[in-house]
Amino acid sequence: MRTAATGMQAQQTRVEVISNNLANVNTTGFKRSQAHFEDLLYQSAQGVTRVDGADAQTVEGIQIGRGTRLAAVQRVGIQGPLEQTGRPLDLAIEGDGFFQVQLPNGSMGYTRDGSFTISDQGTMVTHGGYTVVPGVTVPDDAVQVTVGRTGVVSVVAAGGETIEVGRIEMARFTNAPGLQAMGENIFTETAASGQPRVGYGQEDGFGRIVQGSLEGSNVEIVREMVDLITAMRAYEINSKAVQSAEQMAEVANSLIR
Amino acid sequence: MGPEGVGGRTLHALRYWERRQEAVANNLANVSTPGFKGERVFAELLEGVGPVARGHTDTRAGTLSPTGRPLDVAFEADGFLVVDAPGGDRFIRGGSLRIDEAGTLVTLDGHPLLDERREPVVLPEGNVEIAEDGQVSVNGSRIARLRVEVAGDPGELRREGANLWIPPGSREVVRPEAVRLRQGHLEESNVDPVSAMVEMLEIQRAYGAIQRSVQVGDQVMQTISTELGRVGG
Repeated sequence: MRTAATGMQAQQTRVEVISNNLANVNTTGFKRSQAHFEDLLYQSAQGVTRVDGADAQTVEGIQIGRGTRLAAVQRVGIQGPLEQTGRPLDLAIEGDGFFQVQLPNGSMGYTRDGSFTISDQGTMVTHGGYTVVPGVTVPDDAVQVTVGRTGVVSVVAAGGETIEVGRIEMARFTNAPGLQAMGENIFTETAASGQPRVGYGQEDGFGRIVQGSLEGSNVEIVREMVDLITAMRAYEINSKAVQSAEQMAEVANSLIR
Repeated sequence: MGPEGVGGRTLHALRYWERRQEAVANNLANVSTPGFKGERVFAELLEGVGPVARGHTDTRAGTLSPTGRPLDVAFEADGFLVVDAPGGDRFIRGGSLRIDEAGTLVTLDGHPLLDERREPVVLPEGNVEIAEDGQVSVNGSRIARLRVEVAGDPGELRREGANLWIPPGSREVVRPEAVRLRQGHLEESNVDPVSAMVEMLEIQRAYGAIQRSVQVGDQVMQTISTELGRVGG
């Protein structure tokens, strides 16, 4: 009965993961997650040996499985589609890399959501108000902001001259799926992700920065819906297995009258 | 007839059907476990004892489904990847891999995969490509070739859980040209939910039938003893 119950739990987790993916179908830079399952430890049932008579006969024991468990929920880091917005401060990364932001607790956050704005102090911040690292300050009199593919930020001042005001750095990780999601599209470093390595766009395997675009969510609705239906069916079937085990136990009980 | 008699045989029969039910329940619980192979339980009639459960693994390949995740690998033909688990060498039928903080290619549970020379595979940063023959390349440069083996007798593979198989004593390395690995795919569980459901119903019926036969036998014995008692008295 427990075996089938582990199956129900697994499918429930799967539905939760799919629901979260579906809820984030319009979240900038969102990466879909996938639940991975594995079978549980096996128990060996003892074999049977007939000892009477001259020819002893043995039937080997069998391995009895105890169900399934969640192995991991992994983020699938494949590129989301780039969506043009035309806003000069919307930046998307095409390829590998994360923007770095300063979190209030002093630690560094990493994000693929490049919908930036300019704060009242003139610095470039995320829409959540976290400062982009290294700091880029846009002067008050800037008419136009240009961000190149390699992250160079230049502005056209009121006088018409072009000034370079900074360069956006990016970070990469050996195991980016190991980053911890903090919400607000921001991730933090963990032991599993490894140390960040900092660099610039289009160098050492970093992706390029695309101005005026945002990276859409990589969730595909049809795929999630199909997964959802499969998970729900599997949940039902496992609930039937629980019922079946329960009915057999009842039958066994009724042997004693 | 020995002391076990009818009661003993009934017990063995009931136990056999319970084992089958447990196997079906485990198969159904693992309907979403990648690379899972269903277990089939059948009866071997042991003379004087009754039916005894025997198991064998349904080794048929599961359907390959694309995931788009570069570190998901599946086999299109026979073969297992070899991992270095705490209990020694273990086989895995592909599955989801990851790169740990040291850059080593490991399973989701952190067991390193072995290459042809039985060494762990340490990857530099970059785009990981796994070719059909198990060759792992990063940004186009070859790093190592994954070790692919098969069991001498597939029937001797034992399950350890956590998607690991315990290889038997006799095992062979598969030649690179015979390896069929698919990157970005996972092999689905080969459990067919519909036939498992049908089997579950059959098991329930059989179990109920045995129970009724026991009850009928019991009634017969009761009648005999009371009737005989009356004649004797």
